[in-house]
Amino acid sequence: MAIDSTAETLKLATLPAPSRPRRHPLRWACSADIAVPLAMLSIILAGLLLPALYAMPEPVGGNILDADQPLLSPGHLLGTDANGNDILSRLLHGGRTSLLIAITVNLFGLLAGGSLGAMSAYLGGVADTIIMRVLDVLIAFPSLILVLAIARALEPGALDTIWALTFFSVPAFARIARAATLRLREQPFMVAAGLSGTGTWRVLARHIAPNIFPQLATFGLLGIGIAINIEGAVSFLGLGIPLPQPSWGNMIYQGQMTLSARPSLVLLPGMLLFVTVLSFNLLSEALRARWARQ
Amino acid sequence: MRTPISLLQSFGHSRRAAGLRPSPGLRLAAHRGLVAIPVLFGVTLLTFFVLDLLPGSAARQLLGADATPEQVAALEVRLGLNRPARERYLHWLTGAVTGDLGKSIASNQPVTALVAERLPVTVELVALAFALSLALSVPAALFAAHRPNRLVDRLTMLLSMGGLSMPSYVLAPVLVLIFSVNLTLFPSIGFKPPSAGVLENLHSLVLPTVAIALPLLCFYTRFLRGDVVEQMNGEDYVVTAVAKGIGPWRVLVRHALRNSLFGLLTLVGLNFGALIGGTVIVERIFALPGLGQLLLQAINTRDAPIVQAIVLLLAVVTVLANLCVDLLYAALDPRIRYGDR
Repeated sequence: MAIDSTAETLKLATLPAPSRPRRHPLRWACSADIAVPLAMLSIILAGLLLPALYAMPEPVGGNILDADQPLLSPGHLLGTDANGNDILSRLLHGGRTSLLIAITVNLFGLLAGGSLGAMSAYLGGVADTIIMRVLDVLIAFPSLILVLAIARALEPGALDTIWALTFFSVPAFARIARAATLRLREQPFMVAAGLSGTGTWRVLARHIAPNIFPQLATFGLLGIGIAINIEGAVSFLGLGIPLPQPSWGNMIYQGQMTLSARPSLVLLPGMLLFVTVLSFNLLSEALRARWARQ
Repeated sequence: MRTPISLLQSFGHSRRAAGLRPSPGLRLAAHRGLVAIPVLFGVTLLTFFVLDLLPGSAARQLLGADATPEQVAALEVRLGLNRPARERYLHWLTGAVTGDLGKSIASNQPVTALVAERLPVTVELVALAFALSLALSVPAALFAAHRPNRLVDRLTMLLSMGGLSMPSYVLAPVLVLIFSVNLTLFPSIGFKPPSAGVLENLHSLVLPTVAIALPLLCFYTRFLRGDVVEQMNGEDYVVTAVAKGIGPWRVLVRHALRNSLFGLLTLVGLNFGALIGGTVIVERIFALPGLGQLLLQAINTRDAPIVQAIVLLLAVVTVLANLCVDLLYAALDPRIRYGDR
């Protein structure tokens, strides 16, 4: 959730600069702390791709005569909701939407925020001051409120949710990129690059970018979890993905109305969301621990 | 140990006359306070113009979908919404500086009164959640850090990661399902004011408090555990303490923990504003008449003065909390107090 992002930023920003990972990708991935969340994520991703491969009931436009079927009913493995839509199909389609939004937001945040932070730190001076003050304002701003206000004003939908979430992801990435770049500036190879007359943009692209990327990517994994959470919150409050289109957040909201009668309507999307976010968090944590050890 | 108040008093003439500079901790706090002003200004500016630029208007929301454009325009004139944004912002700002935050567009009541009416519920909720999470996270972190990477530690870390990954809109329904549907121990919705009896009041806040406190608890535990382990591993004073023959628990609590509490304090300060904003969901699920509900309502009716006031309040609280943390640093750490830098 939003509360974690600033503090996680703080935590990551205080790490020593990571060196390049070792060159054995397979062995590198084979310890349990990385392999387990990676495997969980692979299973979830494979599941989310399932509707593309197998014919499955549509997630919307179900027949009201099929409404409220229990778990394990014929044709509907996880039953149907109050509108007769297949729950499994809604879970998978909703997950795909949530994940796509979260990944887009973080990719954009990584690219835009990362370059902003790195440039700000490397160029220094007035530009740095201005950029950082603007980011201070954005960080001091309660992100959920901004996201809610923007989401409320724009038509509810995936694209607008992405747009709203970007407001919190860009400053977070910029902070981390800036802190990492400031540390790099002291390194001998950076001094050498400066002395040998390497151009500013070349230094940024060839020396800074590859060195701060691992840290940004590690935060990105965490950020995906945070974005899934916030997207869910916005959809839960009815301002994100509009019904009847499924998303985990609005499924939980819908299910909550019949919580005591049919808890599975809340528990299934809730568990799925929980496991997905947990996997991203565990993966990010494992990577962070690895960078810290090196 | 001197309190922040006495520190502030000592920042007076006698010290300056003696040629002593104020302590860096205080100067830091003063600096932070000054830097906070443009940030607060920026926050209000951003809120105002974001709310203004976004499509849709409060007048249209008030009149409903079938209002004619003429009716909407007439209401906008009456509410003063047709004036240029710059003018309205300046008007709002001059009011805000003198403590007048304007009137709600939807209900025409003073915003300060509306906020003041809702604030106590949210403050109580947040205070309870902070108390619960801090009270549990310190012992949990110590038990984990006592033997790093052993069973208790691993288990605590895994559980806390789980708690962190569980958003409140998942946790709250699960809590309701277990504790109010199945066990019928606590109410699933509703709020009893303290005037109805303190116990009643607390009873109605148990589930919401847990829903807010759990992620915080997990976060603080992880942070504190990491910091304590770091202290125990490399710091000279820990080596000295162990060499003197002080028992491991005593070193942990009296030496390492005392140092690690600084980091925790910073986090608490940082969390404060965001947390009040984060109660939106929990207040909605448990139907608590707090600030979050007011905010959500205001966002839905595009009642800009209320949103503006709440955002300002949260920003001020964040800044003040950080300021308090800076002063506490000075009170707790002699190096900062006496300027050993």
